[in-house]
Amino acid sequence: MIKTYFKIAWRNLAKNKKSAIINIVGLALGMAVFILIALWVWDELSFDKYHENYDRIGQVVQTQTFSGEQYRNVAVPFPLGEELKTQYGDYFQYVTMASWPGEHVLSQADKLISEHGIFMDAEAPRMLSLAIVEGSIDGLANPNSIMLAESTAKAIFGDENPLEKVLKINQQLSVTVTAVYQDLPDNTSFANIRFIAPWALYVTSESWILNQRSNWDNNSFQLFVQLRNGVTLETVNRSIVDVKRNRVDEERKKLNPLIAIQPMKDWHLKSEGIMRYPGERGGSIKYVRLFSVIGVFVLLLACINFMNLSTARSEKRAKEVGIRKTVGSPRQQLILQFLSESVLTACMAFLFAILLVFVLLPWFNGVAGKKLEILWTNGWFWVAGIVFSLFTGIIAGSYPAFYLSSFNPLTVLKGTFRIGWMAGLPRKILVVVQFSVSVALIIGTIVVFRQIQHTKDRPVGYNRDRLMMVEMKTSDFYGKFDVLRSQLKEKGAIEELSESSSPMTAVWSNQGGFTWPGKDPALQTDVATIWVTHEFGKTVDWQIREGRDFSREFGTDSTAVIINEAAAKYMGVADPVGMTITAGDLGGGDYHIIGVVNDLIMDSPFQPVKQTFYFMNYGMVNWINLKLNARKSTAECLALIEQTFREVIPNAPFEYQFVDEGYAAKFAQEERIGKLATFFATLAIVISCLGIFGLASFVAEQRTKEIGIRKVVGASIFQLWRLLSTNFVILVLISCLVASPVAYYFLEDWLQNYEYRATIPWWVFAVAMGGALLITMLIVSLQTIRAARMNPVESLRDE
Amino acid sequence: MIELKNIFKWYKVGGNRAFVLKDINLRIAAGEFVSIMGPSGSGKSTLLHILGLLDEPDEGEYIFLDENVLGLKEKQRSALYKQHIGFVFQAYHLIDELTVYENIETPLIYKNFKSSERKAIVAEMLDRFGIVGKKDLFPTQLSGGQQQLVGIARALAIKPKLLLADEPTGNLNSKQGESIMELFKQLNEEDGVTIIQVTHSEKNAEYGNRIIELLDGQLVS
Ligand SMILES: Nc1ncnc2c1ncn2[C@@H]1O[C@H](COP(=O)(O)OP(=O)(O)OP(=O)(O)O)[C@@H](O)[C@H]1O
Ligand SMILES: [Mg+2]
Repeated sequence: MIKTYFKIAWRNLAKNKKSAIINIVGLALGMAVFILIALWVWDELSFDKYHENYDRIGQVVQTQTFSGEQYRNVAVPFPLGEELKTQYGDYFQYVTMASWPGEHVLSQADKLISEHGIFMDAEAPRMLSLAIVEGSIDGLANPNSIMLAESTAKAIFGDENPLEKVLKINQQLSVTVTAVYQDLPDNTSFANIRFIAPWALYVTSESWILNQRSNWDNNSFQLFVQLRNGVTLETVNRSIVDVKRNRVDEERKKLNPLIAIQPMKDWHLKSEGIMRYPGERGGSIKYVRLFSVIGVFVLLLACINFMNLSTARSEKRAKEVGIRKTVGSPRQQLILQFLSESVLTACMAFLFAILLVFVLLPWFNGVAGKKLEILWTNGWFWVAGIVFSLFTGIIAGSYPAFYLSSFNPLTVLKGTFRIGWMAGLPRKILVVVQFSVSVALIIGTIVVFRQIQHTKDRPVGYNRDRLMMVEMKTSDFYGKFDVLRSQLKEKGAIEELSESSSPMTAVWSNQGGFTWPGKDPALQTDVATIWVTHEFGKTVDWQIREGRDFSREFGTDSTAVIINEAAAKYMGVADPVGMTITAGDLGGGDYHIIGVVNDLIMDSPFQPVKQTFYFMNYGMVNWINLKLNARKSTAECLALIEQTFREVIPNAPFEYQFVDEGYAAKFAQEERIGKLATFFATLAIVISCLGIFGLASFVAEQRTKEIGIRKVVGASIFQLWRLLSTNFVILVLISCLVASPVAYYFLEDWLQNYEYRATIPWWVFAVAMGGALLITMLIVSLQTIRAARMNPVESLRDE
Repeated sequence: MIELKNIFKWYKVGGNRAFVLKDINLRIAAGEFVSIMGPSGSGKSTLLHILGLLDEPDEGEYIFLDENVLGLKEKQRSALYKQHIGFVFQAYHLIDELTVYENIETPLIYKNFKSSERKAIVAEMLDRFGIVGKKDLFPTQLSGGQQQLVGIARALAIKPKLLLADEPTGNLNSKQGESIMELFKQLNEEDGVTIIQVTHSEKNAEYGNRIIELLDGQLVS
């Protein structure tokens, strides 16, 4: 019996191909968007859940107050770990100190690779529940050991067994491979960590680290914990809040250092306002919420569209229902017929949606920076899909099924049962909602891209052109400055070479404790500090505003400092050149200001440039900056540079980055949002267009007779077109009125995230409105002109 | 006023031509009152549609008011139609969404009459056909005969030079039919309106001053 229903349903769909296709495609698009977003949200929400102890792992976060403003940072002092372990051991199952994650050179015989790794306490692998492939999970117990991710083991040893092999870290520390673990999946915070070495080794590797053992003032380390079973985070946070405060001197107490544990579930999505590794920005719960809302909205639009079109089509079939009833078809049968038709449509849409997701996923992954997969093997995915299809089909089919079948057949046949244009309010509201969403998304897309462009157009204050940077990863890089510079210059590969403590695209250190004559004593200073070599300014082409650049002619420049314009303003002195700054936190030395330089954007291009001091010190540098020779091609220069580096520093891999590429990467998140907004806007528009296309053709069809008669009594095509289009145009105009203020409100709010932001000019609204109107007119005109041009004798025939 | 030369009209039915009109030659002078008669399916409505510029023949020439209308563009043709022709349909063809009043008013709007003029004309028509009381009803609320009256009123509202009526009295009782015929005769004689009507009734046909017989798409006479 059911089979016959579906057979007839299939026949009906095949007969009305155009509306069936509109219906299926529209619903499928909505479902596809929803599935994509659901996969994305699922991925974001399951971030870090790979770790078995997800619920009990946390990271220590320190809050300090500078000049009344709170700063939260994951960097903590060395002795804090010991303190938590010994004094609060009841709370914690594991307390593990960790270094900053970073690139390190791993070498074995003549094999040389650079990998991202971290130094952690020996319990860390247990805490992170690493999946051991070979070796022991307690492999870090011996300080001269290392645990490799499978990918790293493969890169170094190929198919050989890596266990018990000896490696060198940074050409300096000898370690034995004690375990190989499965690479952590992409949606974990430690995803890019490819090896773990013992914290104990790290501590002894450099003298400065050892010296921090009891120093509560140096925040240079990370601290992870796992709570014991039954211990709540609130209890722990309440007891440890002052653990650092109690240990520091009066001067430091003023910064009011507060200690708290941020649970792992918040690391990825709720870290706004917490400083993590330089340049790293996690996802945001805001975007998860926003995109969830958009996903549900798009799906809802598609569903309502589907229902409306099904209903519209079945109203046309009111006559058929009437006739069926006069020949004795029971009501129940009519209901089942309508329902099977819409359920069939919904199921086809679902299959089509899966196909769409399959096709779109690689592209979507690229845009979203994810590695999502369709959950082919997850039973729930299919159950949800089928339940959803049934649900949509039944809801969509219920109106025609129950409403139309309830009519007295005679009223339908006599035509007293009349359907006004667009059958009243619900459909008008639908069109308004659809177009409001589309218009709002168009506006949003324009504003996001304007913001990106606006920031990209911002002058960076230095010359990125042909500027390259090389990180000094191992000790082999040090002491080679003069050789590299003179050889590369001689070969004509570069115009200039210099070194600095931070890369051009980041600020790695900030210091407090500065004083200068006339300083407001209440001001707790916070200044970006960068150490450079003599020719740094020449290499990056900065502009000296006052005073002079560092110079080899002045032997005293080792105690000189150049400040940027923001710093001059920050210090509030009119003529800073010649003044002396005392650096309390840098060993109390005095530095004389020799120049003021323009503001260079080294950190976020969306924020104002921070007050910065440039010191000169050949020992404090981490990066080599190279300005390539303009008279040679980039490839030629690169070849020469690589050759020289391999000769001068044979024990380190040659790796480099161009500054302009590094700078472009700062826009990744914004561009991602922009692309996603474009994607959603396009889909919303397509769905709205399908909706309006369906309605327009339905209305045109429904009014065929009326159009014919009007033509016969003298209406011109233009008059008919106007008659049929006006209503749609009015609806779209209302949508624009609804969408504009809502979009304005949300975008203003979004732009508040950026100190350096674009405006929202009026033309953005005009463009969105014009676009929506144009599309509507085009679609509606297509339908109405066709109807209006029809030979009236044709359209009046079936009476 | 009207001259048809060798008019053919056919429909393609399964690859063959099914002729509806075959070699029609006809002249109708201004001021004539012509009745077209013939059995059902003989092509009367089709002929009337062609005369009314609503349909086109597949072959032949049609000269209306000294113009070869088949060569005209759609726009000019509809202008010509709007200007001179009133059409009463066999199936009434009223707009279901509009009231009786609005139905009669529609052609006047398209002829750009002022609102006050429209009011006067519509009132006159409602009065003349005795349907003043029905002016706010919708077509579906009327009987077949009443709908037919509205159709006639709408056609006459624009004061056409040529009135084409497809069985205008088909749904009326004989008394109503007679009064319509009297009205047509009066329009024809006093206002000089050219009238071509299709009818099945000998008696009604007699009101005209010439009768044309159609049989299987051909003129008999
Ligand atoms: N679209 C069409 N396709 C095929 N044949 C058609 C079509 N339209 C009309 N005909 C045929 O043309 C012929 C003439 O139709 P027409 O309506 O002119 O007849 P009529 O003389 O007005 O009849 P009646 O007195 O019943 O109104 C009929 O045989 C009809 O079947
Ligand atoms: Mg007929």
